[in-house]
Parts: sequence; C-alpha cells; structure tokens
Amino acid sequence: MKKYAALLTIALAFVFFYAAGDLPQIGDKDSPANVHVSPRYIEDAMEEIGSPNLVTGVLADYRGYDTLGETTVIFIAGIATAMILRGKKEGDDAE
Amino acid sequence: MHVFIIETILLLLLIATGIFALTSKDLLASIILFGGFSYFAVLTYLIVGAADVAFTEAVVGVVSTIYLVTALNKLKRRCR
Amino acid sequence: MKPGFISFVLDTAFRVLVPFTLVYGVYVLIFGEYGPGGGFQAGTALSVGVILSKLIQGKEKAQFNIRGSMALILAGIGTFIYAAVGFTTMIFGGKFLEYEFLPIPVHELTELHVWGILGIEIGVTICVMTTFIAIFSALTGEEGPFKDA
Repeated sequence: MKKYAALLTIALAFVFFYAAGDLPQIGDKDSPANVHVSPRYIEDAMEEIGSPNLVTGVLADYRGYDTLGETTVIFIAGIATAMILRGKKEGDDAE
Repeated sequence: MHVFIIETILLLLLIATGIFALTSKDLLASIILFGGFSYFAVLTYLIVGAADVAFTEAVVGVVSTIYLVTALNKLKRRCR
Repeated sequence: MKPGFISFVLDTAFRVLVPFTLVYGVYVLIFGEYGPGGGFQAGTALSVGVILSKLIQGKEKAQFNIRGSMALILAGIGTFIYAAVGFTTMIFGGKFLEYEFLPIPVHELTELHVWGILGIEIGVTICVMTTFIAIFSALTGEEGPFKDA
C-alpha cells in the first residue's frame, strides 16, 4: 500500500510540475490576474480610501464583507475548539 | 539573477526543514524544525515581495509553535 | 521576594518581551493603514503577549491575564464591533460598510474611510486576540469542562 501511495504522489507531482510550466511569470503585467481589476485598485485606491497600504485598503474597504466572514470563521473556530477541548469526558459522570 | 539564486537556496532550505521535521524521531525537535520551516517561509515571502503575508506567517508561526509545545506537554511520550 | 517572581531568567524575559510585544501589537493595529500590518497581525501579536505572560507567571498571578471564558465573550464582542460599524452606516443611509455615511464630523470625505477602517480593525483585533487566548487556555485545560455542558 505504501508503494502505491508513493507512486501516486510522484505521478501527481509530475502532473503539477508539468502544469506549472504554463503559469504566467511572477509580476507579469499581461497575465489575466493583472489586467482586469488590479489596475483600478492600484490607480484609484489612494484617492478613494486614503490608505497608503494597498493590502489593508482592499481587505478592509473593497472587500469588507469578506473580512467580516473571515472574522466570523475565526470566532467559530475558537468556539468549536473550546467546546471540543473543554467538553465533558466520556466517563465523567453516569448519565 | 541574484534574487533567483537566493530564492532557490531558500526553497531548498524550506524542503530540507520540512523533510527533517517529518522524519525526526524526537517530537520536540520536530516542532522546532517546524518553526524553522515557518521562518524560511517568511523569508521566501519577503523575497517575492509580499510583506503583509510574511508578517502574518511570522506571527502565526509563533502562535502555532506555542500551541504545539503546549499540546506536547500534555502527551505522555516524547518520541514517536 | 515579591509575588510573581519565579526565576531570574524568566523574570527578565517577562520584563523584556511582554511589554514590547503588547506595545508592538497596538502599534501594528494603528499603523496598519500606512505600513504592513492590520487587524489579524495585531491581534496575534497581542495574544502572544498575553500567552507569554500566562506561560511565565502562571495562570493565577499573570499581570496581563484574560481567562478562557472571558476570552470567548470578548471574541463575540469583537465580531459584534465589526458588524456594528457596518450597521451604523446602514442606519445613517448608506449600504453595509459604506464608510461615507459614518456620523463623524471631518473635513474631507476620505478621512471617514480611515476612521471606518480603524473601527473594523479594532473589532478584528479583539476577536483574533481573544480567540487565540481561548484556544490556548482550552489546550492547557486551566478551567476544566463547561459547567452546563
């Protein structure tokens, strides 16, 4: 079974490296991610938000609703961890 | 070109620390090697130019190391 | 020997590390609009400060102490602050999280964005910080199981 897992991993790694050759270069200005919405953020964010840090501007202003979801997910993760770790053990009482 | 060489060295160190963290017999050494893994990830993010992601990775590396050591403190055995 | 003193190394580490980490967390929170940083990083740095304080001085005598149950309540309050900023802009006539409608007197309209971003970053910071503290205190098992579980 371990041999098959190793073979599968190597095959998947080969597929991954084969596909990674078609990805655009880092910082390529003609790549699809950099031609549609990024130029508008980079050009207009300083006037519209007034925040020199573009990452904070996008996270807190343009994508404020997403960040609310992230905060809720972190909160729920904390509650779930506390409930699992602080819940009653199996043989604590005879219910 | 220099950036490419530094990136290659950092990525090789990343792979090396990851493999050593996975194959180490001592669990505490494994956790500390995981901290080193996170440190090299921070340097890689900084080389690529993502300062915010590097900062997040640095603080999360610290917190996850604290969590793992705390969980190890509750275990009976110290090696696999 | 004064209370809270454990050993020379730990006491010196507490004096050097913890206040610096806490002040740095607040700095990251407020400076996050101008440099790298933001709510998540600030909250994690603050939680590292409190967790180090609990680790060094013990859960009873720690100087910067937030108990686990109180931490869960504060995490909910942090999430509520975020949503409250959004609903404030809705009450004053805008859409959800549309910072132009915040009821703060300013000279320029972009200043409202700065105030709104600061408000929601404070919410994210409180939520992340107390969530990490709650997970840590649940891991160490310092309070035992829930009373009404």
